[in-house]
Amino acid sequence: MSADATKALVPAVLVGLAVGVFSGLLGVGGGIIMVPMLVGLIHLSQHEAHATSLAAIIPIATVGALTFAVAGEIDFPVAGLLALGARIMARTSEGLLKTLFGLLMTGVGVQLLLA
Amino acid sequence: MDLSLPIALGIVGFGVLTGLLSALFGVGGGLVMVPFMVLALGESQHLAEGTSLLVIVPTAIAGVAVHRRKGYVSFKHALVLALGGVGGSFLGATLALTLEDIFLQKIFGVFLVIMGLRAVIEGFRRSRHHRASTVS
Repeated sequence: MSADATKALVPAVLVGLAVGVFSGLLGVGGGIIMVPMLVGLIHLSQHEAHATSLAAIIPIATVGALTFAVAGEIDFPVAGLLALGARIMARTSEGLLKTLFGLLMTGVGVQLLLA
Repeated sequence: MDLSLPIALGIVGFGVLTGLLSALFGVGGGLVMVPFMVLALGESQHLAEGTSLLVIVPTAIAGVAVHRRKGYVSFKHALVLALGGVGGSFLGATLALTLEDIFLQKIFGVFLVIMGLRAVIEGFRRSRHHRASTVS
């Protein structure tokens, strides 16, 4: 690789490093700080920055999750339920969403009645 | 933690809500999932952060699959970002694990307040623009 091409990679590697530290420290994906950096420093369009940040988050969050997993700091059942909810949301219609919201209210109501 | 059926349903419901918020405002799930687990489920900050990161992985994969069809994902950039990113996230997570839980919770709180105020200012500015353009 030429020196110029290598030099062009440096800002992106540094943005990745900063976002990674932020993500691992706080347990978030880091998109909220990565997207503005990709637009401002790497000059991607808003759409590209959003989509590309999601792709970069996959390995970043995987390494963070593994580090917490080794220390025993993951609640797997809760993770499964949250991921299930996010999955439902991703493929849901408005009607189904309303049904689910109704179920949630019913569940909370029942809990209040039994408490 | 103890998972009764209503609580389990509530957690799934919160996952749905998180997905909805992400879609509406373009924020990631971690920002809302971590405080939810700490405040509503009573998890430690460490456990909430590790769990949040694990949930983010499949969610981001699903998101990439959607955006890839529209051709917005620059895998070249993502690869370079990940090069620095995986080292950074290992460092960040290791640092988080060495910090005391309550201290880490306070750092997260400061971060959330900053992000919250930024959103308030941006929202306020936009609504003023909106009013200015509808009044005249």
